[in-house]
Amino acid sequence: MTLGNKTKHRWLEVMAGVMLLLAPLAQAQAGDEAIGYVKTVTGQALVITAGQSVKAQPGTAVLLGSQLKTGRAATLGVTFKDGTVMSFGPDTELTVDEYLYAPAQDQLKLTARLGKGSLNYLSGVIARLKPSAVQIKTPVGIIGVRGTRFVATVEEGL
Amino acid sequence: MSRSIQNALGLSVLALAALSVGCAGPRSYVVLLPSPDGSVGKVTVSGPAGQQLLTRAQTGTGLDGGKPPFEVSSEKLARDFGAAISARPALPEQFLLYFSPGGAALTAESDALLTQILARAKARTSVDLSVIGHTDTKGDAKANESLGLARANTIAALLRQMGLPDVPLSVESHGERNLLVATPDETDEPRNRCVEVTLR
Repeated sequence: MTLGNKTKHRWLEVMAGVMLLLAPLAQAQAGDEAIGYVKTVTGQALVITAGQSVKAQPGTAVLLGSQLKTGRAATLGVTFKDGTVMSFGPDTELTVDEYLYAPAQDQLKLTARLGKGSLNYLSGVIARLKPSAVQIKTPVGIIGVRGTRFVATVEEGL
Repeated sequence: MSRSIQNALGLSVLALAALSVGCAGPRSYVVLLPSPDGSVGKVTVSGPAGQQLLTRAQTGTGLDGGKPPFEVSSEKLARDFGAAISARPALPEQFLLYFSPGGAALTAESDALLTQILARAKARTSVDLSVIGHTDTKGDAKANESLGLARANTIAALLRQMGLPDVPLSVESHGERNLLVATPDETDEPRNRCVEVTLR
């Protein structure tokens, strides 16, 4: 490095300033970016994000914090950015609480809550690179995934 | 009806009820299944009643974690999960395109693969794509990040030019930080000069 100490210091200050400016931007955008898309729907299904309810159709975006909801005779299928595939049977509610997919920065996390109903889950890159990063919470217990496929059902009141 | 028959009926109804409860197992439960490639992973359950580990396909356990794994019949799977399983989207498809050293020009084989990617993208309903650029470790990391992005942009532009419909497409660069083939720094490795296209 041929930079003098003073120049280096100045450079660090500028960098820190830029990062401070960018930080709120990154936060504001965290919930606006699609983390997955609806691929299949039969019957009435909803994607509810920040209190806003959207009728699920193939192509509907799923965001961080979205709740996926199927009606009495409905089904829904979603593919996430990392290739995780989830599909749901009737009368199901699942909320995506955490989703981080930046393999280059080693930021990997998927936490979802299955409130009720049935789920067919297929691992994507997140579980493959970091198995401990995937958790499906239910009112009864927590499912941990070790690179795999499973189905789970939750009945209310249990 | 005689008293004894009534009693017997009552008993058998009770027995049936007990039996059906026994068969039904926990109402909230998880079942491990083979992945589409045939491999079987593992599932852990931790709940108020304990922890369980599933390692064999088609075994399940209650979500409270209190009971050891049990076999789950195909009939029960179909009954409880048939609808969810039938709603599964098409599996993601991945393609790797390779580049000549140091630039954003595709090898001849990879050029041909582009046509195939486009056809597959059009065949899928409601497709979204990611185009991720990778480089080898020759040169510095920052330059490689830019190079990876240039490669990914080249591919995205080519796909659009060739008639890719207006679908969600994300362009990213992992530069030399997510090597497809592990190498030391400053290594010329053709298999790492690559763009990864995923159709979902």
